[in-house]
Amino acid sequence: MMNVNELTIKEFHSGLTEKKFSAKEATGEFLKAIDAKDGEIGAYLSIFGEEALAAASVVDEKIASGDGISEIAGVPMALKDNMLVKGMKTTAASKMLENYVASYDATVVRKLKDANAVLLGKANMDEFAMGSSTEYSAFKKTKNPYDLSRVPGGSSGGSAAAVAAGLAMAALGSDTSGSICLPASFCGIVGLRPTYGAVSRSGLIAMASSLDQIGPMAKTVEDAEILFRHFAGKDALDSTTVNHVYGAGEHLDDARGLKIGLPKEFFVSGLSREVEEGLEFAVQKFKKLGIEFREIELPHAKYALSCYYIIMPAEVSSNLARFDGVRYQGVAGMRNEAKSLSDLYLATRGTGFGPEPRRRILLGTFVLSAGYYDAYYAKAQKVRRLIKNDFDEAFKNVDAIMAPVAPAPAFRFGEKISDPMAMYLSDIFTTQTNLAGIPALAVPIKQYSLGGGELPVGFQLIGNRFEENRLFALGKLYEKN
Amino acid sequence: MLTKKDLEKLADLSRMKIEEGEEEKLLHDLGGVLAHFEELKELPTDDVEPMNGGTSSLNVWRNDETTGALDGEAAKKEFPETKDGYLKVPAVFDASAD
Repeated sequence: MMNVNELTIKEFHSGLTEKKFSAKEATGEFLKAIDAKDGEIGAYLSIFGEEALAAASVVDEKIASGDGISEIAGVPMALKDNMLVKGMKTTAASKMLENYVASYDATVVRKLKDANAVLLGKANMDEFAMGSSTEYSAFKKTKNPYDLSRVPGGSSGGSAAAVAAGLAMAALGSDTSGSICLPASFCGIVGLRPTYGAVSRSGLIAMASSLDQIGPMAKTVEDAEILFRHFAGKDALDSTTVNHVYGAGEHLDDARGLKIGLPKEFFVSGLSREVEEGLEFAVQKFKKLGIEFREIELPHAKYALSCYYIIMPAEVSSNLARFDGVRYQGVAGMRNEAKSLSDLYLATRGTGFGPEPRRRILLGTFVLSAGYYDAYYAKAQKVRRLIKNDFDEAFKNVDAIMAPVAPAPAFRFGEKISDPMAMYLSDIFTTQTNLAGIPALAVPIKQYSLGGGELPVGFQLIGNRFEENRLFALGKLYEKN
Repeated sequence: MLTKKDLEKLADLSRMKIEEGEEEKLLHDLGGVLAHFEELKELPTDDVEPMNGGTSSLNVWRNDETTGALDGEAAKKEFPETKDGYLKVPAVFDASAD
């Protein structure tokens, strides 16, 4: 049997329909790889062994009886542990939800199940998706498969590491500010943060609702596109979703001749040598493929981080109010000690939340409190408009925008954990797209090989609202040449 | 500048107990982040319309019908404590403090 752990979704689907292997065999190979390697990598928080094999058998039965299967049928996938799978633990990597078992499927999960994808398990993440390194998980460290002394990025670090290490063929991540693109870039894989409103968040544990999106993480742009098409779309359970028809997608030839903007604000000092050289390589490659580049301006981009770190904590402080020890199987032992409801709240929240959620809840409470609301929250909402206007203006002249994902490749464990501001600065190039609600596709500069001694670097392609097809076309043009 | 008293007030509003030894670190961390926000003051925004969401949708309508209700039994299983099928919580009011 060929090494299924290295296959893309596209290759896997061909092999499966040509009966080179069965779905059950393939899932078995992935479970074996997890067994052998995940002790070292730490990508998963829980594994659905039996359920995964049973789901794979259903695919094999369909093939045997001549029924058609979807393009992602049998594909062994990892899910970030903030997405609900009915009957399975969903912890958001927090002690607060250590024992919580989901009572329904997230819409994306239901869609994956309907298409007969195989869910291998839940991937590690920063607690409640807050962080850029996955070091804030309450349960374990996830290591970067390219260098075990370095972080995989975050907050979807488990998802990225699982795909990079061959422990999942693809994965789902969620993104509030760079939480898909950053780990994708650090782990040498592809990640898409979709347009706000493209994908349902029903069943995603909410962090900042005006920013959160779910997106695919995969080995190739082609795979990311296949996955995205399976779970994007309007959902009655998330009223922010938009009924957008993506159509068949753009042909690669249509991508030639497109204009890409390079925001001058993003190519200033402070980029590491690897990122600077990587971006230059990618620009030259695109030029050879017929892409024209133009310098553009995003004058308010530099305010994005401040704007984001006001709006996001404000929404966090409200969204996380529901974790009060009353509704979910929360922190064990709290019930017996609490004499009053207020005692229960204080004790549960005081014990259940780790350092980063605590900081953000307090910060959010501050920026929303009387006397400070106008100076911080109301101001940030206006700055958010200015940031979005910059993009609207830029897209009048270019078809897409290219930018670094982060100033440097993956950093070492402990390097930024004691200084929240240093960690927040990892988001410096990714915050803008979330605030503007527009899509970003992270693509590795080149094909990296595990053990090759190189740290992966990616670039991001940013598109206007609902222009994912254009990003996919550009990304595929890049990776196929 | 955030004071210890401010922090206690925020912790109370957040219904989140913070430990004695934690306060100094929190004040330092939050102070650093708030200092970063100062840069926003230089930006004139008087005539800017606030952007209060990620979507351009206006109102979203649906028929007033019950659909896809949550599995009640599964949801109840996640309650830390129940009595006669109801969610049980500690006393809201202290009965002794009359």
